[in-house]
Amino acid sequence: MTGPSPAPTPTDPATGPGPYGIGIGWRPEIAGFVAGLPGLRFVEVVAETVSPAGPLPDGLAELRERGVTVVPHGVRLSLGGAEPVDPARVAHLAGVAAAVDAPLVSEHIAFVRAGGLEAGHLLPLPRSRDAVAAVVANVRRAQAELPVPLALEPIAALFDWPDDELDEADFLTEILDATGALLLLDVANVHANARNRGGDPLTLLDRLPLDRVAYVHVAGGAEQGGFYHDTHTDPVPAEVLDLVGELCARRRPPALLLERDGHYPPAAELRAELDALAAASGYPVVT
Amino acid sequence: MTVLAAPGDTWGIPGPVFLRWYLLAAAVLVVGTLVHRFRGLAGTPVDGTGPLGPQQVAYLNGGDQLAVWTALGGLRRAGVVGVTPDRRLTTAGSLPAGATPLDQAIFHTAARGVHSRELRRDEWVTRALEQLRDGLQQRGLALGPDRRAALRRGPMLIAALLAVGVIRAFVGLSHSRPAGFLLLSLVPLFIAFVLLSRVPWRTRAADRALRELRRRHTWLRPSAAPAYATYGPSDAAMGVALFGTATIWAMDPGFADQAEIQRQAISAGGGSGSSGSSCSSGSSCGGGSSCGGGGCGGGGGCGG
Repeated sequence: MTGPSPAPTPTDPATGPGPYGIGIGWRPEIAGFVAGLPGLRFVEVVAETVSPAGPLPDGLAELRERGVTVVPHGVRLSLGGAEPVDPARVAHLAGVAAAVDAPLVSEHIAFVRAGGLEAGHLLPLPRSRDAVAAVVANVRRAQAELPVPLALEPIAALFDWPDDELDEADFLTEILDATGALLLLDVANVHANARNRGGDPLTLLDRLPLDRVAYVHVAGGAEQGGFYHDTHTDPVPAEVLDLVGELCARRRPPALLLERDGHYPPAAELRAELDALAAASGYPVVT
Repeated sequence: MTVLAAPGDTWGIPGPVFLRWYLLAAAVLVVGTLVHRFRGLAGTPVDGTGPLGPQQVAYLNGGDQLAVWTALGGLRRAGVVGVTPDRRLTTAGSLPAGATPLDQAIFHTAARGVHSRELRRDEWVTRALEQLRDGLQQRGLALGPDRRAALRRGPMLIAALLAVGVIRAFVGLSHSRPAGFLLLSLVPLFIAFVLLSRVPWRTRAADRALRELRRRHTWLRPSAAPAYATYGPSDAAMGVALFGTATIWAMDPGFADQAEIQRQAISAGGGSGSSGSSCSSGSSCGGGSSCGGGGCGGGGGCGG
């Protein structure tokens, strides 16, 4: 495969192999909880925690045997970096995709290193034409090596760069149009960005190419110091669930995934969050 | 071939004749013991008799002491057991529904303000442990004293045969008769005796059940940093039962330290459980700390 791949569309939700329904981010800490969800058909795994050559983590292998779709989610590719994406990291992501027989993989539109320095977390890009060009070039490089479609996730940011030339929707649409990539929409980020930088989350939803959404992230967060922080360690707030409802009313995404990365609550609370997600989207409950 | 007894033969039996009968007797005894042992250790598969609870698993995996730690871990996760600054256990609230007899015994003993290491010696706890043990023996998973004694009969006969061989060799050598082949045959027989006299305290059915449980609960391995808050008391107890008190240390280090709980990580391989001591085979006392085997928890300097 060379150059931009032909634009894939999200697979038919009911029959296709893509992520479908309500899922949860698989983490070793809650592997037993995830394994105990009877209706689960879809999980996401942080790609950097899986070794493509070695055996799959125990719980993950079991889920694969059950026919649960596993989507590798990269966090270290740095697609938004000015320098070309690291071929070894792309190869790793491709290897994980093959190891879990994934229908697609996802990564962030962000940079995590620049000039050889590791930031340690995801940093937002200025929304300039140059940034679009850099991201598009890197996404194409990655797509050329990946065996499956790539979904791109815009990240939450507490601030706008002063020289932004494009708004969020145009920035994303340009990247998706130029690369044929799918969209991984993070509803909590949409809420966070609107809350922190001003603006109406519904306007953004209306302007995003919702037909390109492969799946959706939903995570918890907390208000602190006048800002909403996308912590992934707090409960999902009602505003985010409302936004999920608004999104599904416009165009229901094929799948929605609950992300929880720490401070894990009792099983009953996690189940309630999954059920709330199912209720807001109209998908079958998985608990 | 006829070998005639010569005047110098020990006990009037020529060496080759004795050796032939000796080896035959040894083979019969060893094979007989092996068959008896193979049958006696089979046990009853768990499948048909309902799943094992954490305390049953703990007893099979590490004996009485691990069963006590497992109950204590579950009660701690349920929030009904605590520890005071002077390292005595306390209780809060009431026992959760579904408490086992051992839970009840530990809870009431803890309420009296004992140290964690004293739990196992309490009369009520001892009775509950007996009950647990009896249940497992009836299910064909643990071996009672009678069964273990029966399995030691074969090795005892081998020991007697060894004694005869040693005496004969000694007598023969003292009369300058050759005893090389006899001495040579004593070596494997002695090795067989040592190996066969180690009688496990659980059956092969229990071994299989433990292996299967460990495989199904890899997510409870302390190295996976399990989210105990998500899992609840019964899963936490299963973590202790399968992977040792390292689970209590991972779940609640403050409590484990203050209550002087011996730190112990049980390896996944698991031994055959051939001793009744508190640190059974397959477990490693101390787990990197400076605790000596069995002497843990005494001075409060353990694993802290």
